[in-house]
Amino acid sequence: MAVMERRMWDLLLILTAAPHSGDVVTSALRLSQAVLDRGGSVRVWACGYANMMTQDTFGDTKLPNTRDPKGHYPSPSAVVQRMIADGEGRFGWIACTACSEERGAVHHVPQVRHRSPLRLARTIASARQTLYLGGA
Amino acid sequence: MDARTAAPGAGTPTGAASYFLIESKGNWAGPNAGTFLLDAVALAEAGHRVRVLLVEDGVLTAVGTDAPEIRRLAGAGVEILVDDFSAAQRALSATTLSPHVRLAGMDVAAAALTEDGCRGVWH
Repeated sequence: MAVMERRMWDLLLILTAAPHSGDVVTSALRLSQAVLDRGGSVRVWACGYANMMTQDTFGDTKLPNTRDPKGHYPSPSAVVQRMIADGEGRFGWIACTACSEERGAVHHVPQVRHRSPLRLARTIASARQTLYLGGA
Repeated sequence: MDARTAAPGAGTPTGAASYFLIESKGNWAGPNAGTFLLDAVALAEAGHRVRVLLVEDGVLTAVGTDAPEIRRLAGAGVEILVDDFSAAQRALSATTLSPHVRLAGMDVAAAALTEDGCRGVWH
């Protein structure tokens, strides 16, 4: 009987903090990029209000910065999309379906995978290292 | 956690493990931040390799030349790193930090967390 090998990711970040709660999203993205720069692979599991980051209603840019009206400030969904594209299969973003539905945040950008929380344990088993960011 | 509960197990040939602990909370965030650093001390005193990275508001723990938490970690042999970006965001320079710490980028965390057998914890 053939046995399907499960892909192992180097790092899984379970992002439980709300994006507006502090610097945690910046830290998660910086750590992800650092692992990608080393040739590693990273997946982010967005939990709770972290699911608001990848809504397709954001468009590509944030609202204009009146102190820098010509500046370009990508939206969080644009940042995630760029990292997925640049990662060429080494960066993934997962939206928790239960958390998304509870918040009415079900319109994710198409690059985001949707997963039931029932698959969280299996997702953790597919990573060599898992970190919870933002508290339980 | 104390040195007894943190005792090395029989899972590795030497019994010692490698920990990379990341503290993102400032001291005022509640007692858990200090407790997390005490866990690092207990693990180091039990013979494990322990590295602590202070990030976000956690970098403020390293301010000053005589921060007691940092002194305790250094005394236990813990390697203490301060995230350079978080320090810069809070207008902290290397001269305002404890002599027991060194500035490091997120590349150091990425390297540690992808080492074989390294146990990472983010608080």
